[in-house]
This record gives sequence, C-alpha cells and structure tokens, in this order.
Amino acid sequence: MLVAAGCTPQSVTEEGRAVYGLYNLFLYIAAVVFVVVSGLVIWSVIRYRRRDDELPKQTHGNNRLELTWTLIPTVIVLVLFVFTMQAQNKVLDQSGDADVNITATAFQWSWRFAYEGTGAEVVGSPESIPEMVVPVGQTIRVKLLSADVVHSFYVPQTLFKRQAIPGTENLFDLTFEKTGLFHGQCTQFCGLQHPDMVFRVRVVSQGEYQSWLAAETRRGAAGQPGT
Amino acid sequence: MTDEAGVLLRVSGFGIVAGVIYWFVSDFEALGAISLLLLGFGPGFAGLILIQEQRHRGGTRESRADAMRRFAGIPPQDPPGPKDLAAEDLGVLPLPTIWPLAASMGVAVLFTGLIYGLWLVILGLGLLVYATWGWLAAVNRENRYGRLQADTEAPSPQSGPTSDPRPYPDPGPPSGP
Amino acid sequence: MATTELPLPALPEAHHEEPGGIVDYLTTVDHKKIGILYIFTAFAVFLAGGVLALVVRWELASPGLQAMGENTYNQVFTMHGTLMIFLFAAQVTTGLGNYLVPLQIGAADVAFPRANAMSYWLYLFGVLIVVSSFFVAGGPAAVAWTAYAPLSTREYFQGTGMDLWIIGLAVVGVAGILGAVNLVTTIFRMRMPGMTMFRMPLFTWGVLVNQLLILFAFPALTVVFALLFLERNFGAQFFDPTYGGSPILFQHIFWFFGHPEVYIIILPIFGIINEVIPVFSRKPLFGYRAMVFAFFGIAALSFGVWAHHMFATGLVYLPYFSIMSLLIAVPTGIKVFNWIGTMWRGSITLSTAMLMSLGFIVVFLIGGITGIFLASPPIDFAVNDTYYVVAHFHYIMVGGLLYGMFAGFYFWFPKFTGRLLSERLGRWHFATFFIGFNLTFFFQFLVGLDGMPRRIADYEIERWTSANVLSTVGAFLTGVSVLIFIWNFWVSIRRGKRAGDDPWEGNSLEWVTSSPPPSHNFHHLPEVHSERPAFDYRHRGDPELAPVKTDPERDPDRG
Repeated sequence: MLVAAGCTPQSVTEEGRAVYGLYNLFLYIAAVVFVVVSGLVIWSVIRYRRRDDELPKQTHGNNRLELTWTLIPTVIVLVLFVFTMQAQNKVLDQSGDADVNITATAFQWSWRFAYEGTGAEVVGSPESIPEMVVPVGQTIRVKLLSADVVHSFYVPQTLFKRQAIPGTENLFDLTFEKTGLFHGQCTQFCGLQHPDMVFRVRVVSQGEYQSWLAAETRRGAAGQPGT
Repeated sequence: MTDEAGVLLRVSGFGIVAGVIYWFVSDFEALGAISLLLLGFGPGFAGLILIQEQRHRGGTRESRADAMRRFAGIPPQDPPGPKDLAAEDLGVLPLPTIWPLAASMGVAVLFTGLIYGLWLVILGLGLLVYATWGWLAAVNRENRYGRLQADTEAPSPQSGPTSDPRPYPDPGPPSGP
Repeated sequence: MATTELPLPALPEAHHEEPGGIVDYLTTVDHKKIGILYIFTAFAVFLAGGVLALVVRWELASPGLQAMGENTYNQVFTMHGTLMIFLFAAQVTTGLGNYLVPLQIGAADVAFPRANAMSYWLYLFGVLIVVSSFFVAGGPAAVAWTAYAPLSTREYFQGTGMDLWIIGLAVVGVAGILGAVNLVTTIFRMRMPGMTMFRMPLFTWGVLVNQLLILFAFPALTVVFALLFLERNFGAQFFDPTYGGSPILFQHIFWFFGHPEVYIIILPIFGIINEVIPVFSRKPLFGYRAMVFAFFGIAALSFGVWAHHMFATGLVYLPYFSIMSLLIAVPTGIKVFNWIGTMWRGSITLSTAMLMSLGFIVVFLIGGITGIFLASPPIDFAVNDTYYVVAHFHYIMVGGLLYGMFAGFYFWFPKFTGRLLSERLGRWHFATFFIGFNLTFFFQFLVGLDGMPRRIADYEIERWTSANVLSTVGAFLTGVSVLIFIWNFWVSIRRGKRAGDDPWEGNSLEWVTSSPPPSHNFHHLPEVHSERPAFDYRHRGDPELAPVKTDPERDPDRG
C-alpha cells in the first residue's frame, strides 16, 4: 500500500506545499488502516481455518464492538476533514493583489496565454507547444477561460488543476518557488487531439521575466504573437 | 406502518434534510437542491401511499409505539400462530408469451426513429401498439379462463419436475404450534 | 400493466416442463431464465469491453502512436467505458437479482413476470443499438463515457454514432427503471409468510437498495440524455453559453446519476459477499442489522456526493461534498469490520467463492481508501483526471465488481445448473486474476501521481513507460484469467461434479429447493424464523441452533 499510494511529486509552488503535506498525512493514516484491516483478514483466515465438522459458536453480533468501529472511522474522517479544510483555504486563498495577471484561454487543441496590462501574448498549436513564462516568487493570478469545450489546466508539479469551462471565468493563484521548466497538459478529454494539448511553464528570475515580457510586448505590438 | 413504508420514509427524510441543508450551505444553488428535494418527495409519496393502502385494507392497526419502534429499526415480532406455506400461496405463473419481446422491439424501433426519420417512428409505434394489444389480450384471456384453460395443450400429470421434489427428508409433523 | 395474481388455486405440480429451445427463451416469463439471459448478455458485453480494454493497454504500452490513430483510440476507450459501466456492470447484478431474489424470499416469480421479460428485451435492444454505432459512418462516439457537453453536442461531434449511443442508453435506462419497479415490488409484496424485511438475506437487501437507487438515479440520466438529444437533433440550446445555456448543467445532472451508479453497481456485490462469507465461515453474519443500515447509509449518502466529481470545476461548494464523501467511509467501514467479525472464530473453508470474497475485501479496501484521498478537494485538484483516478475506480469497479461477481458465480453456479464449477481451475482463475489485476492497476496509482492524464492515446514523457508496460502485461494476464473462467464454465457445465441441492450448507431459501429449481421455484417451503431459514431447516428440532419463535415476548433477533 505504501508503495501503491506512493508520494506526490515535490511541489514547486507555495500552494502545492499544503497539498503535499495533506497528501502525506492521508497516506500515513491510510497505510495504518490498510495494514490493520488486511492483517485482521489474513489472521482470521489462517487462524480459523476449518479443522473439523464442529459448528463454531453462532454469534450474531456485538453492539459494543460495532459501535466502536462506527465511531473510530467517524473520528478519523472528521479529523481528515479539518485538515482538508485548512489545506483547501491555503490552496484557494486569493486575498491580496497578484503581481502578474495572466488570461489563459484553452481551445481545441492548445493554449493562449495573454499577459494582462501588456500586449504580450503566447499562442500555441498542437504542433508547437506554447510556453507560459512567469517570474519566480511572485503571485501569478490565472484567469482561465475556454473558447469551445471543457478543458482542464494542469501542471503536475503545482499539484493543482482547474477546469476551463466555456462561459465561465475561473480564477486561481500560483506562486512558484523554484525556477525551471515544467510540463503542463489538458486533463479533461476534449476531442480528437486531446493528448497533444500540452504546454510548458517556464519559471524564471524577475530580471529575465522583465526582459522576456518587453520582447514579447514589442512582438505583440508588431502583430506577430510568439509561440 | 410497515417496514416497507419505513424504508421509503427514511430515504425521503434524508432527501428533504439534505436538500434543505444543501440549499443553504451551497449559497442557494438550485439544481442540486431541487434534485435532493425530489429524492425526498418521491419515496415519501410512495411511502405514504403504502401506509394509506394498509389503512384501507384494515387489519390490526399498529399502535403508535410499535410504529415508532419500527421506524427506529427495532426488530419486528412474529405474529402468533402457524405460518407454514401452503402450495397456493406461491401464486400462479403466467404462460410464456412473445409480446414483451415484440413491445420492446417496438420501443427500440420508435426511439431509433428519432434519429433516422418519421417513418421509423411510425413503424415502431405501430409495432408497439400491436404488441400492447396482443399483450393485454393474453392477460385478459388468462385472467378470465384461468391459467389451465388458457393453456392450449393440457398439462399431463406425469410431466412434473424431474428432480427430487423434496430436497430434505420430510420434516414430519410441524414442530411449532 | 396487469399483475399475474389470479384468485385461483394454483396447481404448481401440474405445470408442464417447457422445452429449453430458442422459442422457449424468446417467450419466457420465468424469472430464472430471464436472469440467465441477463447474465449471459452482460457477460458477452463484458468480454467485448474487455477486448477494448486490451486494445487500450496495447496502445499505451509505449509512447507514441503505434496500433491506431487518435480517433480510433478515442472511440475504443469511450466504448470500453460505455459497455462496462452502462451495459455490463449494472446489468449483471440485475441478472443475479432476477434469478435469486424470488428464490431467497420464497416467491414463485417476480411481481410482474411479463414486464420482467420486457425489461430484459429492452436492455438487449439497447445494447444492440449502442453496438450498431460501430457500423455507421463516422464510427461510434468518441467523447468518453461521461460525454461532457459541449464536446458531445452536434457542433463538436457530428457522427450518428453519438445519437445511437444516446438512444441505446436511453432504452437501457427505461429497461432499468422498469426492472427496478418490478424487483422493488417483488421484495415488498411477494415475501413468504414469516419472511419479514429484517429476515431477508443480505443479497436481497443489496438488490432492494440497488433497485431503489436505480429508481431514483436513472431518471436523471434519462433527463440528461433527453437534453443532449434535443440539443443535437432539434436545435435546443441547453449547454451553449452563448445562448444562455450552461455547460456545467450537464455535469451536475450527469453526476447526480453518475455517483449513485457506482453504488448501483457495488451494493448487490456487497450482498453477494454478505452471503458467501457466513456460509464458508459457518457462522451467521456478524451484525445483520448494522449491515442493513450500512446499505441505507451508503445509498443515502451516495445522493449527496455527486459534485465530488466536479471539484476541479471551481463551481461547487467544496466542504459539503467533501464531508459527505468522507462520511461514506463510515458505513463502508462497518461492512468490512463486520465481515471480519463474521470470519472471527469461524470455521473457514477456502473455496473459490470464498477466495474471491477475500480478494474482494483486500482490493476493495485499497479502492475505498484511495476514495478517501479523492474526497479531499486539495488532493483531488492534484490527481483528478489522472491515472490515479483511473486506478482508484478500477480498484472499485474491476476489483469490487468482478471479484464479487465471480464469487457469486462460483457460489450459485451449482444452484443454476446442478453442477459444481471446478475448484482446481477456480484456484488458477483466482491466482491469475489477483496477480494480473494488481499488476494492471497498482502502477497506475504511481504514474497518476506523477501526472499522467487519463484518456490520452500518446504520452511524451519517457519515465511513464515502465509503469505502462507493467500495466499492459497485467491486463493481458487478467485476460488469461477470464479465459480460464470460461474454460472452467465450459468443462463444468458438461462434466462438472453433481452438486445436489445444497453443496455449501447455505443459509437462504434457495438452498432448500432443487438445483436447478423447478419452474415455480419450490415444492416445499420451510418455516422462516430467522434470517437463516435453510440453516434452521437443517438443524430443525435442535432448540439451541434453530429456536422456533412464535412467542411475541421472545424474539431475540441477535444473540
């Protein structure tokens, strides 16, 4: 079970760290439950194999025992629920202003990333993978839209995803803590070329971001969106 | 109140309570609240019908205390007296009939017609009506003349089941009162 | 719909035995034959869906597109899900219920035998309509089994295959509702004297709750299909936001059906396990009433959790659905612990049916525990729509459903046919199935955590390959195990050991009649004084084991 459930990838965002911790908490409790229950099953099968024709004592139940194993799971799930709510508040917290506002539009079958307040825009296609460039350590607020069907914005290492639903604006914050190039992909099945709906997130230093943005803005003004 | 009505009313209670809670906590989201309330009203309606029907049938009315006990899931008690089953309690089986197959085919053709055109809808509807007619006629025949007369070939007394009709040795005189 | 109750004295012994030919099956109104038809049809659908699953695994064994193009792949996994969820999983248990429920409650047939036949035929025609979409221009639907609008609307998917998909499933939905009315009425109205609700076998309880769920959930499915069909063919606009429609509406109604569907599938399976474990532990079920209330707890909660499939939409109230989903663990936990309580200090025989039931507990435990993870919105954000979810619900569906189904087949095959399935082949079946199954889905948890999305024909990340290869190997091993089962069936139905009426020392009434039962089910019925009438009958005359309860003052339903 420990191996089966495994661990999530280390998160690269501030929000993702809360999820990572929560997942591990669930994992430990789950491992204990699994070991205890399957241990009991295996033990009773070995210990109480049929040896003779004598009928075992015909017990019909035990109210106190049954109450115990009703209450224990109830307590466990309530505890898990409390931790869930704490982590959820961290993940979904949108108080405070964002440093970078990006409008991400999903379409069949790629992505468009528009940088609000600048003319910068990145448009991809199934053949050319778009790259969302963001600065490290700053709050990025993504406004997620869909141009046609339901898609889903997912970067595995942020431990977060959100559906892009036509007619709906979905807002969420990401604060990257590490620079690097991260894989992202649409996870909501969206038609023929769904597996090709890939993008990358390039997290760079503040200075690099500014110079990239300036170059993109010039290109955008010249009417040739980069890829 | 019978166990059956109790089951339905409990489902109903859950639907109504969950629907009301959901209505408030979800900030008045209508769709889920309506669905849950429908889940509450549907079985509740069926449960009330069952209770009503039992009243009409008469018989011994359950005391209020008994009804509460049953609702809380406390075991029902055996009525006094013998209750072994007589053969006629099993009811009568209907004869084999082709009409359910024909009626289903009608429904299937009718629905498929919604894709391919009106002619198929009419064809399916015709088949469905014809099958329903045949079905009702068969039911009527069996109801009026009884199971045995409706059978075209008379059943022979020898053609009983082949396997041992009594799987266990006869229990002898019943042990209960 | 007329009932078949006639105010005439019946002469069950005088019924002529009907010939077993094809006309007999086409015209039958016997619940046992209809049950067999259901089981065979569902199993054929299962084999077809299984072949499609192997095709999927074949494609995913290495990155890139090898065996087929993207469109074909999308059609294959869509039809795999459709066949398995809609046309196999919910129907095979209906078949078992059809066969067993009247026997378990001491009735001669279901309440409406002709309508029962009709629901089977509607189901068959529904299957045929869905399958016919393979042969129309454009091929079958390629929108995933959930068919989220607007992807499934005419604008994005033109083929007739999609319309046939909707119509076929709508017909199956009608069949389901008709069958549910029938079985619920049967259980409410046809029980023999003495068979109170709280003496019914747990399998019958499972079927009752399952059919009630069908009754309340399938209308939602019918509604959503009607909306989709109107949008596709008659210009209605329910899901297009530019006309004031709402795409989220589809998800809401679909999952209002979709989550109870999971329990529609799994509750009768719980029922099977509840029958098998006490028999092979030679003890009564531990905590009978708790088990019944757990059924209802699960069923009720299942209607309150639909939006946990929609956490990632950002448009649902998370805490409500999270706590409701987490709470399902409680009744489920009661069931698992009560099964252990039943085995505890028992006298356990490891027959194939029992092995399958034990396999069920372990595998279902993993599926259930990972379900707890998914009930937590932040974790769900991370793993939703990845292979983690695929692994989770296959642990529930394949693990839960198939282990339970095979347990039921091994357990009741003697009752259906009069012969035993081979235990030796059964052990091989179990071993290959257990290894193959875990190999298939175990590694999908890992690759899902690593971020591999579901429903992709191709992946570019090389490190996902090894898990996918193992998964494919496991899938083919699972395929082999099913072939072993078919071989076992083929051999045993001809040359299997004669079973007699009660090969396992069963508890419920079906073990009191002959194998296979006569057309009117019983020549003789024992009195019912507890939830184990067949046990009481075997031990009649022994006041310790089988007390006769006629005194209202003395009714200790539990010891």
